[in-house]
Amino acid sequence: MKTLEETLRTWEAVIGLEIHAELTSLQTKMFCGCKLEFGAPPNTHTCPVCLGMPGALPVPNRAAIESIVLAGLATNCEIEKHSMFYRKNYMYPDMAKNFQTTQGPIAFCMRGHLDLAVDGAAAKERVDLGDCAVGEQCGNVTRTEDGYVAHVGITRIHMEEDAGKMVHFGGDEGRIAGATHSLVDYNRAGTPLIELVTEPDLRTPAEARLFMQKLRQIYLALGISDCSMEEGSLRCDGNVSLRRRGETKFGTKTELKNMNSFKNLHDGLAYEICRQAEVLEEGGIIYQETRHWDPTMKCTIVMRVKETADDYRLFPEPDLAPYDLTDEFIEGVRAKLPELPDEKELRFQRDYGLTPYDARHLVEHRETADFFERSMECAGDDAAAFAKPLANRVNNDLLAYLNNHAEVTLDALPITPQRLVDLERLLADGSISTKQGKEVFAALLEKDCDPAVIVEERGMKQVSDSGEIEAVVDEVLAANPDKVEQYLGGKTGLLGFFVGQCMKATHGQGNPQLINEVIVRKLSERA
Amino acid sequence: MAVERDLWRLSAAELQRGLLAKEFSAKEITESALGRIAQADPEIHAFLELTEKAAYKQAARIDEALSQGTARECGPLFGVPIAFKDNMNLEGTHTTCASRMLENYVSPYTATCVARAIGAGGIPLGKLNMDEFAFGSSTETSAFGKTLNPWDRERVPGGSSGGSAAAVASGMACVALGSDTGGSIRQPGAFCGAIGVKPTYGVVSRYGVVAFGSSLDQVGPFARTVHDAACTLNAIAGRDPLDCTSQESTVDFTANLAEGVRGMKVGIVPAFMEAKGLSPEVRHKVEEAAANLAAMGAEIVEVALPNAQAAMSAYYVLGPCEAFSNLARFDSVRYGYCDPGHKDLGSQYEASRTIGFGSEARRRIMLGSYLLSSGVYNTYYYPAQQVRTLITRDYNEAFGKVSCILAPVAPRTAFKFGEIADPAEMYLTDMFTISINIAGNGGMSMPVGPGEETHLPIGVQLIAPAFHDELMLRAAAALETVYGPAPIAPDFDGLNDNAKAGE
Repeated sequence: MKTLEETLRTWEAVIGLEIHAELTSLQTKMFCGCKLEFGAPPNTHTCPVCLGMPGALPVPNRAAIESIVLAGLATNCEIEKHSMFYRKNYMYPDMAKNFQTTQGPIAFCMRGHLDLAVDGAAAKERVDLGDCAVGEQCGNVTRTEDGYVAHVGITRIHMEEDAGKMVHFGGDEGRIAGATHSLVDYNRAGTPLIELVTEPDLRTPAEARLFMQKLRQIYLALGISDCSMEEGSLRCDGNVSLRRRGETKFGTKTELKNMNSFKNLHDGLAYEICRQAEVLEEGGIIYQETRHWDPTMKCTIVMRVKETADDYRLFPEPDLAPYDLTDEFIEGVRAKLPELPDEKELRFQRDYGLTPYDARHLVEHRETADFFERSMECAGDDAAAFAKPLANRVNNDLLAYLNNHAEVTLDALPITPQRLVDLERLLADGSISTKQGKEVFAALLEKDCDPAVIVEERGMKQVSDSGEIEAVVDEVLAANPDKVEQYLGGKTGLLGFFVGQCMKATHGQGNPQLINEVIVRKLSERA
Repeated sequence: MAVERDLWRLSAAELQRGLLAKEFSAKEITESALGRIAQADPEIHAFLELTEKAAYKQAARIDEALSQGTARECGPLFGVPIAFKDNMNLEGTHTTCASRMLENYVSPYTATCVARAIGAGGIPLGKLNMDEFAFGSSTETSAFGKTLNPWDRERVPGGSSGGSAAAVASGMACVALGSDTGGSIRQPGAFCGAIGVKPTYGVVSRYGVVAFGSSLDQVGPFARTVHDAACTLNAIAGRDPLDCTSQESTVDFTANLAEGVRGMKVGIVPAFMEAKGLSPEVRHKVEEAAANLAAMGAEIVEVALPNAQAAMSAYYVLGPCEAFSNLARFDSVRYGYCDPGHKDLGSQYEASRTIGFGSEARRRIMLGSYLLSSGVYNTYYYPAQQVRTLITRDYNEAFGKVSCILAPVAPRTAFKFGEIADPAEMYLTDMFTISINIAGNGGMSMPVGPGEETHLPIGVQLIAPAFHDELMLRAAAALETVYGPAPIAPDFDGLNDNAKAGE
């Protein structure tokens, strides 16, 4: 199989996403008063309504409607004032009523969009932008200095309820095929779910991943879902088709499931694109089918072939009155909108003088963005000078640590914004070296301790006393007369050697910048 | 306390007067009612399950309240024996909907209307027979045997709330609850000579009533006096947070019953009176009732419902569509009939539903499944909704002119078992009742004595504007002053024979 990059030179991938988010921050289910709780013993949060007992009726959760309107406003959707719930009829044991209550042609949120800033390696997947000049608009993207901005349409966000969870036994790896029996846990049944459907505007797996990441940031900022891809509170299906570059007609699409991490989303789509290209290049045809991404085998497997479109016999839910949202309600929700990642990014640039790159990466994670902001407050009068080093520390060291320790949350770490600022002060006044700074930072992640104390304890105080440094430099120069001769003869590259010798002599505690200055001065005096 | 009369013959109002006067106790009322059931039900077969324990428990509560002088605080139904159609959940009882599918299903919770009736002091006697899942107009589709018309045991009691109508008409229950999707309270009321009230959609909560057509179903009372019906409605009406289609009710339905109809404009629909299939004796009774209302000072006005003739078609689209979806939950997985021994889910579904559902239920499910399928939906479902809008508009216009409409309930009196075998012909028995469910307003059946030809009970229908059900009750109360309360059917020969045999 060809690589993604090779494939994308010949083929254009057309990707649309369907993203389900459980509104986990709500107290109760969508149509009944049962508690929402992940991981409770099976079938302990159920009632006649979510078990589909005869005679039970749904009552909509008002808070859920508020959440979806928040999601719509945050993704530039138009809020439909008049919408209805529909019944989507299909029989499966995880859906107790054998119909899912969802929305019809008109959802609460319609016609939205998100703009994705794509840069770095992610931008490289877009092999077709070679002729697109910076600032120029090419299709749905606008070229930027370090990549491009993609405008991704959102068809709709609708409200629905989640199904129960099925567990299959006796078959292959817990799958239904070949299973001897299945169990259903209805705790999840009736969990409020919002489904966002994008337009087929995405062209690379990287764009799909970025879209998903951005949407996750937004939902987290709104506080409507915990967005855990692992626990399934944020789920994504991808629709992928290929067409030859220059072609305008869509190819046959496949639907991809089980992409339960950003990496799986990217890799699953990338595989599927390459697979489809291979089939097409060998003269084969793509069948409209649902495929399952297997992250261990690193391939997609057919789940079921859709020969005809499913007929869900959708019709308006007679047990729920049509929903009329008032302007007052919508404006009330709008007033509750928190600062969104895009706004925060601009504010970070404006208020702290950060580069767009630094700002964007800071806001990618709400915890680290908050940590950065609180650090800036602690920095007080030095805030302007500390913005860049603090942003770097958070974006690089702190994030790297968090990424490598998935089980750890920032709240649980002993480090505080004040400690981080104290550390930066030690670096700024030259008390410790950059290298020592990293060591102190690592220590701050381990224990609750003042950076100054760590420096003291480890005896890593930087020698910045010029008298002391001059003595060391004199010693080193005296011990290496031949090298001094060579330096003076034009071999200025030896400067590094002298600095290294001085650092060695100070056991790594000399201020390298000061040492540098003294060496240069002393050697020039000799010239 | 010597009981010299049959308490089961008394109306709710009489029972409550007697209780307050300490002429008899709630326990004695209960004994009398259960005794009457033991005597009459083996013949009539209105009950599918008795709740004797709950009845006596409630009687004890009422008697305790009587001794404390707080009986009235129990609610408007204190001391009144009441029975429930078997599509209403009552925790701990079977709720079978007269279907094999739910033969062994025990309710884990109680329907709001049932809870309110019992909460209001009603003495729960048991659960009543019906057409399977309320699909039918004769109670013949019950999986658990037919219910006989108390007036003629060769005839059907009507349906689908046939058990409720027969129980009240035979004196086994003082009042009963039924549900009406296309005429299922009014038509059996007419056939059995009982008062049957289908209130405006939204007056009574549907929570806990097994759904047939969610946008059409409405719960209402059967009784032998208008006052008792109004009293029962008072107990069960009102907003229920568990049913978002239910509405606040601030009306006391018993308040203005005695006001009469002087000056009230009562509509007559010429198209109904001239309808093909309307028997002369029924037409005559409607005309007679109109004349009686006029004699009491009502003004009879002709009104038109130009789109009402499309109601039947719309109903047989909307009803089956909703029923198809509502009955999907009976899949043998969590409860209900499960055909054993199947290796895959599909065949288990198929076998369980084929065996569990009767033919009429299967017919409506198939019909609904077809009508909702893509490509067909726009041809049937959508126009049916448009018809619904037109019919609602017709009623609104008519009620701009009149306070109440007088019409037939059923085109004829009760028919014999097996007499109507063609489902489409059976559907026609609801021709005068269906448009009211489509529009959503209230309608009731008021017995006006036996027909001159068949000598069987005839009911006239009074139709009220939406959320003005008190108007039809008022007109009914006026008719009651002429025709008297609904009589209890005389015991069958069979019953008398049994009684004699027991001597």
